[in-house]
Amino acid sequence: MSELFVEKYPEQARLIRLAFTASFIALGVGAVFGLLQALHRTDILRIVESPTYYTLLTGHGVFLVVTFTIFFLVGLYQWAVTDSLDRGPVDPRVTWTWYGLMSAGTIITAVTILAGFLGDPPEVLGSELSADVLFTFYAPLQANPLFYVGLVVFVVGTWLAGADWFRTWLAWSRDNPDERIPLPTFMVLTTMIMWYISSIGVAIAILAFILPWSLALTESLNPTLTRTLFWYFGHAFVYFWLLPAYLLWYIVLPKLSGGRLFSDPLARVVFILFVLLSTPVGIHHQYLDPGISEGFKFIAMTNTMFLLLPSLLTAFTVVASMEHGARQRGGEGTFNWLRALPWRDPAFTGMALAGIVFAFGGFTGIVNAGMNINYLVHNSVWIPGHIHTQVGTAVALTLMAGSYWLVPQLTGNRLVNRQAGLVQVVLWFLGIVFMTNSMYRAGLFGVPRRTAEPEYSFEYDIGVGSMAELNVQLALGGTLLFVSAMLFLGIMLLTAFNDDTEPLVDGTIPPALSGPEDSPPVLDNLRLWIAIALVLVVIAYIIPLASIVDRGGLFGPDIGPFPVFVQITDAIPTVFYSLGALIA
Amino acid sequence: MRISPPRLLLIVAFVLVVFLEARTVLAFFGVAVSPLESAIAAVAVIAVLVYWGTRPVDEEPTEE
Ligand code: HEM
Ligand SMILES: [Cu+2]
Repeated sequence: MSELFVEKYPEQARLIRLAFTASFIALGVGAVFGLLQALHRTDILRIVESPTYYTLLTGHGVFLVVTFTIFFLVGLYQWAVTDSLDRGPVDPRVTWTWYGLMSAGTIITAVTILAGFLGDPPEVLGSELSADVLFTFYAPLQANPLFYVGLVVFVVGTWLAGADWFRTWLAWSRDNPDERIPLPTFMVLTTMIMWYISSIGVAIAILAFILPWSLALTESLNPTLTRTLFWYFGHAFVYFWLLPAYLLWYIVLPKLSGGRLFSDPLARVVFILFVLLSTPVGIHHQYLDPGISEGFKFIAMTNTMFLLLPSLLTAFTVVASMEHGARQRGGEGTFNWLRALPWRDPAFTGMALAGIVFAFGGFTGIVNAGMNINYLVHNSVWIPGHIHTQVGTAVALTLMAGSYWLVPQLTGNRLVNRQAGLVQVVLWFLGIVFMTNSMYRAGLFGVPRRTAEPEYSFEYDIGVGSMAELNVQLALGGTLLFVSAMLFLGIMLLTAFNDDTEPLVDGTIPPALSGPEDSPPVLDNLRLWIAIALVLVVIAYIIPLASIVDRGGLFGPDIGPFPVFVQITDAIPTVFYSLGALIA
Repeated sequence: MRISPPRLLLIVAFVLVVFLEARTVLAFFGVAVSPLESAIAAVAVIAVLVYWGTRPVDEEPTEE
């Protein structure tokens, strides 16, 4: 058994534990809000007024898909870089700075959201302290400026984290000039390249348009432009949730199965494809937006269909690695090897179940991605169905399962109660199937998403069964998910305090069957991939953005920067006259 | 026990999932199964599974 991570890198382990703590707190709050939404929408239990539902929903979205996922990501990536390069960061102060920025940003944003629950929120920076704008903050919905400030501070933190990992890698490669980038670090670096390229879009949307507008510095903005900038970032954002799960599937799952990763080169190809393709597809979230012509939507759709490739490659590589592991453990036959897998291990089982759900959710994603059938499901509750199978399970359940393996190595404590862990992952699986089956079916019959009152007073003609039945199913699924989330947090809390025990995990990652020596060196040429990614982005976005600005103006119709200049020039003589009057 | 508890748990979970999704699938072929019917069927199958799974391995079958 190798030395434990916490013994080898105590400071890194502390940082990762703190990142996971932030992540898990967000998961807990998000899960409470999720349960309340599930019960509210179905009119089973309503503890807030329906208008306050948007406060819940904003909190649910932001805490789960921004705080929970990204804090977990930075913790996991810190582990991956440290462990695979076998060294700490160049300057730990930088590491603590990005952690501090991310935490500060989270607190600022969380306060603005939670203030929405107050009957009479205070005035801050010229407007009411609230942020009922959902995690997509589409204009003209407007939040208190602090909401955006918090998001910016948080994102700057993640940028710094990426810079920190690049710096660690550069220092490592000076000491190891002829070595290939170790696979986990390669995954971290490519994820961050994708993140830099894409998050520029949302940064511009906030800093140039939304924040000044919320501070009343500018009078208006062009909603199509800010939406398009948001979605320029949005699809890469969903991969930012997904890639930590991929890292666990590629690096940890084969090991848990008792084997080795099938192919290191294939894993590199997959991550490069994400760098290239995850940004020039964003318009697929805007198929129904007016103001973007069909041709650009078609380009986005084509790119999106290409994105199926890395996911299918992943499915085959990961299942092949699992089969290899099962055969190492004595599994035989065409399908009988499945029985030889370590199903009693919650880390393994959680990831395997997450993978199964991901495959089904992927098929529903193809529906969303088709320009024509998208019209059927757009803005219906089908979309939260898709969200919960993908980020809500493929990602969330994988991260929870990964915690069962990682947290003992970060704390030096034994995982309490593996059986409870197994029950937890199975409960999540059941809960998600119940909840999303209901969401998908209801969505197909036009039941809307993002509303406290999906039914008002009319009857949906549900093809199979009744609305009442779908509601019960949704509430039941949501409750199972909630119980599962609480069980997970309980196990983590007890493990954190489970001192004087020895963990039972072994942290060594075996080498891949087909290792980096089999992959062409060009795969590690990050500059090349960045260049190609930028070219694709320019092709997909320059003309649509130009035409949006041309039609709707940079700051909204008739409010361009030009009259502002005119006013300044008008003002100059006035200033001189007044100065002259003063002197005279 | 004829089967380890973790496996039994997983199989029970999959049975529930199969029954739930089967209703949707069957509806495509015009076969309507009510929630109650499918719940009863699922519970029956699970009961049999649990009964079978928790019997000692070396016990002689009690039924003919
Ligand atoms: C405790 C378990 C959970 C329950 C009961 C739950 C329930 C719900 C419900 C009922 C909605 C639909 C609200 C509506 O459209 O009116 C929703 C939306 C959403 N959920 Fe969850 N959820 C849970 C966990 C998660 C997790 C783990 C994630 C992601 C990591 C997640 C991400 C989202 C997102 C992004 C939305 C859409 C928000 C929006 O439309 O702005 N949920 N959730
Ligand atoms: Cu997308």
